[in-house]
Amino acid sequence: MFAMLALAMVLLVRNLYTISLLPDEVNQGQIFRIIFFHLPAAIAAMLGSAVALVASVMFLWKRNFQYDALAVAVTEVGLAFLAVNLVTGSIWAHVIWGIWWAWDPRLTSALICWILYAGYLILRQALEEPTQRATFAAVYSIFAFTDVPIVYFSIRWWRTIHPQPVFFSKDGSFPPDWSRALLINMVAIFLLYTVLTMIRLRQEQTQREIDYLRRTVHAI
Amino acid sequence: MRFATPTPLIAMLLQAAYDPIREEIGRLQRNFQGLIWGFVAAWVILLLYTLMLTARERKIRREMERLKSMVEETEKK
Repeated sequence: MFAMLALAMVLLVRNLYTISLLPDEVNQGQIFRIIFFHLPAAIAAMLGSAVALVASVMFLWKRNFQYDALAVAVTEVGLAFLAVNLVTGSIWAHVIWGIWWAWDPRLTSALICWILYAGYLILRQALEEPTQRATFAAVYSIFAFTDVPIVYFSIRWWRTIHPQPVFFSKDGSFPPDWSRALLINMVAIFLLYTVLTMIRLRQEQTQREIDYLRRTVHAI
Repeated sequence: MRFATPTPLIAMLLQAAYDPIREEIGRLQRNFQGLIWGFVAAWVILLLYTLMLTARERKIRREMERLKSMVEETEKK
């Protein structure tokens, strides 16, 4: 785990240097470089929510609390990454559009996504009984995931001021060095996401042991 | 006595006020500041979350040790 974290940090710091060497984007200038954090954070959060969906379905099917622990771990870390995406997007919007926020389909659906997953964590805090908490949270997580495809397709389904995909799409026109730098940042951010999820997962498992010990103490 | 028409004077003042080079420098500076703020915000959010995780880890460990010693004491009795 430490090696993964170290690798992520080395890649991120090294890539900051690589990014600084890239030429400015013609229309937007230097601010466009924010995409190297904005996009990987969004993709990591979306993948995290997909993992949470699978883990929630698996919990409801198998009734194994490991899946519940995985769901809460990826959701919490995903929330932090989605916050990175929303905040960097807002700063970018302020420079390019002149406004911090617009009630645009992409921005609004992403904000709703953040609120839904924050609600998931609040719901877990509100329920005491572990089986009931895990079951309700799993059902809620499946419901919350319905917003993720809406976030992804919002720029295709509706007219929006958010730009269309520029990387890895047939309309994109970025030189290979930009795509390479983005890929490296994406790998680094995924590694960071994985490490944070592993730490959170271990905490969740320890918390279960604590709950078990508390019951033992009360029983004695 | 002849006075110059005010139009060229106003045009000159307007020209002096609008300096495209200064405006472009300002735009580039705002652009760069936005980029720096974006990077700082991304790192700060992740750092805060990591600090939150660390604080929780410490709390969980303390709780675990307390409960383990409680169980041991109860078993001794």
